[in-house]
Amino acid sequence: MYKLNKVDKKFPGVHALKAVDFTIGRGEIVGLVGENGAGKSTLMKVIYGAYQPDGGTITIDGTAVRFANPRQAMAHGIGMVFQEQSLITNLTVMENIFLGFEKQFVKFGVIDWKAMAEAARRQLAKVKLDIDPATVTSNLSFAQRQLVELAKVLTLEERIDGDLVILLDEPTSVLAREEVELLFRLVRELTSRASFIFVSHRMDEVLELSDRIYVMKDGAVVDVVTHDEANIDKIQHKMVGRDVDKEYYREQLQKPYDAERVLVGFDKVSVPGKYSDVSFDLHPGEVLCLVGTEGSGRECILRTIFGLEKPSAGTVRMKGGVQTTFKARRAVENGVGYVPRERKVEGIVGGMNVYENMTLSQMKNYASGGILRIREEKELARKWVDRLAIKTPSVFKDCGGLSGGNQQKVVLAKWRSGGSDIILLDHPTRGLDIGAKEDVYDMIREMCDAGAGIILVADTLEEAIGLSHTILVLKDGEVQKSFRGEPGNKPSLFDLVHYMT
Amino acid sequence: MSLDRIKPHLPWITLLVLVAIVGGADSNFLKPHNLISMVADIMPLFIMALGMTFAIYIGGIDLSAQSVANMTTVIATVALPTLGISAAVVCVVAGLAFGMVSGFITTRLLVPSFVSTLAVGGVAYSLAQYLSGQRALYMDATLRDGSFGWMVGKSFGIPHEIFVGGVLLLAMLFLQTRTTFGRALKAVGAGELAAVASGLNVTRIKVMAFALSGMLAAIAGLLFSVKLSGGSPTLANGFLLPAIVAVLVGGTPLTGGVGGVVNTLIGTLIVAVIRSSMLYFEIDATMQQMVFGIILIAAIAMTIDRSKLRIVK
Repeated sequence: MYKLNKVDKKFPGVHALKAVDFTIGRGEIVGLVGENGAGKSTLMKVIYGAYQPDGGTITIDGTAVRFANPRQAMAHGIGMVFQEQSLITNLTVMENIFLGFEKQFVKFGVIDWKAMAEAARRQLAKVKLDIDPATVTSNLSFAQRQLVELAKVLTLEERIDGDLVILLDEPTSVLAREEVELLFRLVRELTSRASFIFVSHRMDEVLELSDRIYVMKDGAVVDVVTHDEANIDKIQHKMVGRDVDKEYYREQLQKPYDAERVLVGFDKVSVPGKYSDVSFDLHPGEVLCLVGTEGSGRECILRTIFGLEKPSAGTVRMKGGVQTTFKARRAVENGVGYVPRERKVEGIVGGMNVYENMTLSQMKNYASGGILRIREEKELARKWVDRLAIKTPSVFKDCGGLSGGNQQKVVLAKWRSGGSDIILLDHPTRGLDIGAKEDVYDMIREMCDAGAGIILVADTLEEAIGLSHTILVLKDGEVQKSFRGEPGNKPSLFDLVHYMT
Repeated sequence: MSLDRIKPHLPWITLLVLVAIVGGADSNFLKPHNLISMVADIMPLFIMALGMTFAIYIGGIDLSAQSVANMTTVIATVALPTLGISAAVVCVVAGLAFGMVSGFITTRLLVPSFVSTLAVGGVAYSLAQYLSGQRALYMDATLRDGSFGWMVGKSFGIPHEIFVGGVLLLAMLFLQTRTTFGRALKAVGAGELAAVASGLNVTRIKVMAFALSGMLAAIAGLLFSVKLSGGSPTLANGFLLPAIVAVLVGGTPLTGGVGGVVNTLIGTLIVAVIRSSMLYFEIDATMQQMVFGIILIAAIAMTIDRSKLRIVK
């Protein structure tokens, strides 16, 4: 019996896990669901020893344990099958299975490959994979690699006493339907050897496989349901449920957009492997929100508009002109402004001050013959510092030292002061406190009033619904459904989740 | 926290401390004419380091600088009789061209700059050997004084090399602090991804940084060649390590983004003082490169911004 007791984890500015209780019994399959950012990954990392909790205890069969790293967790029978596969593709299957544990096959300083192959074959038999252990891993299909990874984790069985707990992080995301069924059958059979924690975005699969399901939201476990009482609708409501405060998202300030003009037009645009056949029009004054899980293609659409990805098919129009060259410089000239998710890495330049950051995208407006008119830059910065109430001691302050909310305001000021009217917002409120979030919402409404069009990838679904005029729901790179979101007539969270998963 | 505050001031504090130590050991060191001639002697190295600053400022490095300088000593000597002062133009253009090639290889073929510039340096070195017939060449004294005498004369007791270095420093300082190019360099060095996300043409900026580095290496070679009145494919050997040391000790870390040309001036002076201190402390000349090697390692270890090297998840 593996048990978490009131486990707490804090990061600067984020309370990632709030007194989480979690148990898993021998041979049990436990599902773990929640929105992006609900704390699933943090919880998993605590379980397999990558993070150490700030509070609470972890016990195995009643004995308190503490893992300094994943290897120590493994010594207690806890293994992880990674979503991003952790196998080294240019090694053979058996080398991968016993990576870091080759010692058992060493005789007189050299590895006895025959013995290793024999042992690897035994491990592969557990997962019913009939391949030569000397196969180079890159020759295997993704489904086979997943099984090898599982076999690798199952070697714990021979190495340790006690029960195994195996974490499966999105194991089905790259598998075809039949492969998923095979995996599920296998996992059920393996419950005689181990218990499993199953994390997936695909709700139906979680319901199908799990004996019990933990529902997480905002760092806390909000519900635990058994297989028999589980119901997709109820779980989805729990996952997102929270009454949406209309004022919070400035819904009363939402005005109709100008449907006559089109700022950005996508007509059946595809980027191979990322998204396909995406069409939409962005109008002045409109907030268009792209909703979907991680990897659904939302970010890539933003990157296409900003010229960082080149589509293979379809036409992209900007202000009427068909785009043929996809370069960030060209996009900026067309009035596109990009507020990236990685604010500290892509948004601001740490080490440069406020005015240097604000004019970075529009230096030629503040230069004659390549020579900067620094006085004007400072004036501009002072104006926008006042206008957006940016908290900084002066315009000479290094932006790397500002708080997240103020950094975000500098990034927005950079684009708005340069006259950009197609604003791409990728998680603009991620990691901000409530006050700073509301500032961002205010700015979004202001930009719309000023005639800008905004494409938003929101941090939460409530945010998406509260802010947008139009919502496109994406799944696996395809638009599933388009919702209109006039104030008072917005789609519900459930409507969206239904098409997302 | 307090260490972070002191860090930007370390270079000039180091310089003052070194000057005090050497001056305390031998007061002759502090005599003005000695200091002036020390500074004048270091100018070719300083000009090379000035160029190197741009390569390092964007987070790269230019290992071709020494070979490009070698090459221009030969070009200058070979071209002087026919072209006169225009030989300087040939040198500068050659330096620019080699730097741009390094830049293109780095940005278009995505070869890290420490490899691309090393390779381009090989080409420059071979060209120098070919042009010189692998011999040391000498400039005709009258021709040299006629075309380039102004580089090495003296006014008001100050050697002209110092003016050449000073003018280049001011020009590069202006470029670095007052122009869009300088601002773009800083953005690329401090946050390349943010520079891309702001729509800057990062490729062009990088190519220009390497071109500048090549150009200044060429000018360094030209000045050195005029000073020694000749050229050879090995004339500037021994410049590369101290030039890199000068940039790093001055406070422009290998990760780029901070520091700049004034820092390199201080770094070069530190190198100059260390070099002359070896004379005063009677350290054998063969030890010089070893000393600079050790200082280089210490300087990198102290200045590198480890937060930029951490794996970001």
